[in-house]
Amino acid sequence: MHPKLLCVSLLLLLSVVVTAQEKFAISGTVTDASNGETLFGASVFLEGTTSGAITNEYGFYSITAEAGDYNLIVSYVGYATVSKKISLNSNQKIDFEISEASTELDEVLVIAEESERLNIKSPQMSVSKLKLETIKNMPVVLGEVDIIKSIQLLPGVTSGAEGSAGFNVRGGAADQNLVLLDEAIIYNTSHLFGFFSVFNADAIKDVKLYKGGIPARFGGRVSSVLDVRQKDGNSKNFELNGGIGLISSRLSAEGPLFNDKGSFLVAGRGSYAHLFLQASGEENAAYFYDLNLKTNYNIDKNNKLYLSGYFGRDEFNFGANFNSGYGNTSGNLRWNHIFSDRVFSNLSFIYSDYDYVLDFKSFDFDWISEITNYNIKYDLSYYQSDRLQLDFGLNAIYYDFNPGEINPTSPNSSINPLVLDQKRAFENGLYASAEYEVSDKLTATIGLRYSYFIRNGGQPITEYENGLPIVYNETLGVYEEGNAIGETNYAKSETIKTYGNLEPRLALAYQLNENSSIKAGYSHTAQYIHLLSNTLSVTPLDVWTPSGSFIKPQLSDQYAIGYFKNFKNKSYSLEIETYYKTVANRIDYVDGSDLIGQNTIETEILNGELRAYGLEFLFRKAKGDFTGWLAYTISKAEQRTPGGAAGGPGINNGNWYYAPHDRTHDLSITGSYKLNDKWNFGANVIYQTGRPVTYPDGQYTYEGLNIANFSDRNASRLTDYHRIDVSATYVPNRKPEKRWKGEWVFGIYNIYNRRNAASISFGQNRETGANEATRTAIFGIVPSVSYNFKF
Amino acid sequence: MKQHLYNIIVLILVVFTSCTDVVDVDVPEAAPRLVVEASIDWEKGTQGNEQFIKLTMSTPFFDNLSNTDVAGASVKITNNTTNQEFVFTDQGAGIYGTTAFVPVVNQTYTLEINYQGETYIAEETMTPVVDIDEISQARIGGFNDEALEVDIYFNDPPNQENFYFFRFEEEGDLLPELLAIPDEFTDGNRMKVFFEKEDDEDIGQEEFEPGDVAYIKFHGISKQYFNYIDLLIEQYDNAANPFGTVPATLKGNCINPANPDNYAFGYFRLSQVISVTYIFQ
Repeated sequence: MHPKLLCVSLLLLLSVVVTAQEKFAISGTVTDASNGETLFGASVFLEGTTSGAITNEYGFYSITAEAGDYNLIVSYVGYATVSKKISLNSNQKIDFEISEASTELDEVLVIAEESERLNIKSPQMSVSKLKLETIKNMPVVLGEVDIIKSIQLLPGVTSGAEGSAGFNVRGGAADQNLVLLDEAIIYNTSHLFGFFSVFNADAIKDVKLYKGGIPARFGGRVSSVLDVRQKDGNSKNFELNGGIGLISSRLSAEGPLFNDKGSFLVAGRGSYAHLFLQASGEENAAYFYDLNLKTNYNIDKNNKLYLSGYFGRDEFNFGANFNSGYGNTSGNLRWNHIFSDRVFSNLSFIYSDYDYVLDFKSFDFDWISEITNYNIKYDLSYYQSDRLQLDFGLNAIYYDFNPGEINPTSPNSSINPLVLDQKRAFENGLYASAEYEVSDKLTATIGLRYSYFIRNGGQPITEYENGLPIVYNETLGVYEEGNAIGETNYAKSETIKTYGNLEPRLALAYQLNENSSIKAGYSHTAQYIHLLSNTLSVTPLDVWTPSGSFIKPQLSDQYAIGYFKNFKNKSYSLEIETYYKTVANRIDYVDGSDLIGQNTIETEILNGELRAYGLEFLFRKAKGDFTGWLAYTISKAEQRTPGGAAGGPGINNGNWYYAPHDRTHDLSITGSYKLNDKWNFGANVIYQTGRPVTYPDGQYTYEGLNIANFSDRNASRLTDYHRIDVSATYVPNRKPEKRWKGEWVFGIYNIYNRRNAASISFGQNRETGANEATRTAIFGIVPSVSYNFKF
Repeated sequence: MKQHLYNIIVLILVVFTSCTDVVDVDVPEAAPRLVVEASIDWEKGTQGNEQFIKLTMSTPFFDNLSNTDVAGASVKITNNTTNQEFVFTDQGAGIYGTTAFVPVVNQTYTLEINYQGETYIAEETMTPVVDIDEISQARIGGFNDEALEVDIYFNDPPNQENFYFFRFEEEGDLLPELLAIPDEFTDGNRMKVFFEKEDDEDIGQEEFEPGDVAYIKFHGISKQYFNYIDLLIEQYDNAANPFGTVPATLKGNCINPANPDNYAFGYFRLSQVISVTYIFQ
C-alpha cells in the first residue's frame, strides 16, 4: 500500500511539471580549468533574477528561465567568478571551466574557504561541506591530513575516546552514521584504531556531512550521513602528488585517459613506522595501507561512466603468536546520463565489504567476521522550473553477514570449528522529494522515503519459552538467557521477518532579508542494521547485525530550527541551530553481556530508547588572510533501557542515563592565517566535557584480590578534554616554470602536552597490592613534519 | 577466549602509547555491604570435611581493607536433600569454620547467614572436576615462545556443558592469577591451559626459571558461578580500559529475601578441586 501511495504522489508532482511553458533551460557542467575536476556546489545564476542553481555531485546544473537576454554568472568560493552574456531563446547547454582565484591578482584574498559560503536560501540545514583545501590547512596529528578529525571540529560532532574509531553526531552513536565513499558504505572509518582515518586526502574531492535534515535520497542510518567523494582525476595533465611523513607516506598519480575522453586517479598510502621499530628489536608491529582508484569515461555529451574503488588494510603482529587485521574494500560503477537539459540521472552498482581477522597461534585457531553488501541505486533529478526541482530514485541493498567463524589451525588445537549463523537481508528504498520555491521568501523541500527491509532465511532462529530470549532472574537480580525450547529452520527462500517504514522529510527556509534566513526541518529515519558493541569505544571486532525477529529497526525523529546570517559582504557567517532528536529501539547490553562468539545476541540485550537535544553555534570567517571558525555546542544525550517483556528494572533501574557520547560542552576554534606566499599558519583550540564513564563505588576482597564494585552505568565523568594544535606550512621559493612544487608542513599536536584521559582504569597494583586509578593518555605533545609534493 | 580478544586490543594500545600514569580520582562511595567468600573447595580424593567461610564488609574503593572482618554472624550450610546442617563457628578475623562438612557431588546446599538482623541466603550445587591428564613445561607456546610456561592438559567430557576455574600463583607472589573457561568452543576435546609470566619491570615480574614453584588449583564449577567469576575476572583485568566492556555491578548468589536491595557481595560456591604444586625443571 505504501509504495502505491508514493507512486501517486510522484504522479502528482509530475503533473505539475507539464504545466511549464514559455521558458527555456540552460544546463551544463562546471569544472576546474586546471584539472578538469567537476565542481560540486558551485552556484550558477542569472544576474538580476532569482533564477539560479547549485551544481550537483557531478558538477551538473540546470536553470530554467523565461526567454530573454541575461548575464550568466558562475561563482565558487576560491575561484574567479565567470560571467557570460547569453540570449535565452532555446534550451542551451553551456559548460564552464573556472580557474582558482589567483592571489596575486585579486584584491580580496580567498584562501581557505568553508562550505560554499553559507547558503541562505536553500532549505537544507544541519549540513557542513568541507573542501579538502580547508581540511589540509588544519593542524593534524602525526602529519597526516584526517577528514574524520576535521569534521569533529564542527558543532554537534564529537569523538569517542582519543585513539578510538568513529565519530558521534548530535548525541548519536557511531554506528548511526552512514559513511559513504563514492556512495559505497564504509563500515569502519579508522586505520590503526582511529589514529588515522581511511580517507586519503589526496584522493578526496569533498566531504559533506548531514547532521540532520537528511535528504530523502539517503536512508539506513538515523544520525548522520557523511558523503565523501573521490576526485575524478586530472583530465588535463598528468600529475603526481605525494607526501612523506614520519609515520606514513602517500603517493598519487592522475591524468587524462582514453584520448582525453576520461581520466584516472590512483592513490596509495602506507605506514612504515613499524619497520624502524622492528629494526630496533621490537617484535610487535602495527601498520596500514590503502589504495584508492578512480577512472571515468565520457561516452558522449550526455553519458559518462565512473569506476571507483577502495582497498584498505590494517595489520597487527604480536611476536609470533598473534596476528590480526581488518579492512574495507569497496567498488562502484556509475553511469551518469543526461536525458535532457532538465533531467539528470545516475545509476550505480556498488559493492562494499568489511572484515576482521584474528589468528591466535598460541591457541591454534583463527577467527573471521565479515559484512558484505551489494547495492543498486538509481537517482533522477528533474529541474522542472526555476521554482521546482524534483528528485526521485530507488535503491536495493543485499547484505551478507558473517558474525564470526572460528577454525582450528593445527591438528592438536583444542578448539572446535564454529560458524555462527550466517545472516542475510535486503534493504530497499524508494524516494521522491521536491524543492519548491513557494514565494520569493519561502522555499520548501518535501521528501518521502519508503524503506522496506527483508530478513532472509537460510538460518535457524531459536524459539524461547514465552517468546522471551532474555529473562530477569528475580532471585539473583540479574538478567539471564531465556529458556530455548526449540528452533525454526528457515530456508533461503523463506523470509524471517519484514519491516516497512514511511520516512517523511521536511525542510523550510524563510528568507528574512538578503543576508539572513530562518530554517526549520523535520526528518523521520529508519535504521535496519546495528553494530553490536558493549565496549566503551568502537573496536574492529564489533560485528554488524540485521534487524529481525528480536531486534527491531531503530526509528528516529529529529526536529531542528535555525537562524542563518551572512554579513560584511559574506565574509562572515553565523549559524545557530537547535535540535531535538529521539531514537526508538536503541538496544543496550545487560550487565556482564557477552557478545563475542555469541550466536544468540537477543539473549544479551534489552530494547531501549535514546534522546538528545542541543544548541549549536557556528561563527565563520570565510574570506581574507585569516579564515576559520568558532563552533560551540551545548547538548545532552541520554538513554533509557527498561526491562520490558523480560521483566525486572532494566539497565540503571530503568532510569535515564548518559549515553556514552554525551558531551555537555564542546568548543572548537580552528583558524588559518596566510602570512605571505611562503608561510601559512594554522591552529586548533579544542575543549570538551569529559565523557561519561562508570567508576567504582566500593571494593572488597575475593580470591585474594581487591574487587571493585561499580556504580550505575555512566554516572561519573572523565576530566575535561582540551588541547591546542598548531601548524605551519612553508612553500619554498619556486620558479613558476618549474613543475615540481613542494611544501613543508610542520605541526605540533597538543602543544601544552595535556595528558587528556582516554580512559581511567581502576585496578590493583600487582607489586604493592594497593588500589590505584590509572590514566591512559594516548597523545601527549606530538611534533610532526612532512613534505608534500606535486609534479 | 573473549578475554584474549580484548586483551589483544589493550596490548595494541599499550604498544602504541604506554602513556599511562597513576592519578588521583574522586570516586563515588556506596554504603558498606556484607561480603561472603563462601568457597567450599573439596580437594579431590580427600574427605572435604574441613571448610571455611570468610565474611567481611566492603569499603570505599581507595580505603584500607584491613579492618573489615565481620564478627558475630551465625553461619550454617544445609544439605537440601538430607537437611543435614553444618554450623560454621566464628574463628576470629572474619573466618567461620567447621570440621564436619560432608561434600556430595552434584548435591545442592543452602547457605544461611544471619548478621545484624539481616538474613542472607544462597544456594549452589557441588560441581565435580575431571582429572588432570598431564602437566608439563615448555617454552614454545603461550604468549611468548621464549618464556617458560607450565601446561596443564585435561579431557573435557563430550556432549555436556562444563566450566572450569583455575587459580595460579607463583611462590612469593602477592596476588594470584585467575582464569575461568567454558567448553563452549572446545567441547569433548583435550584441553590445554598454560601459566606463563612475562618480564615486566613495572610490576616487578619475571619469567619463570628452573626451580620456580607454581601453585595451581583446578576447579570444576557451575554455570552460574562461571557467569559470576568470568565477569569478575574480566572486570578485574581490564576495568574501564578504552576497549573494555562497560563495567557493571557484580551480583553473586547471596541474596537477602526480606530486603533484596541489601544483598551481599561475593559468592557461595561448592566445587571439587585438584591442587598441584609444580616445580620448574
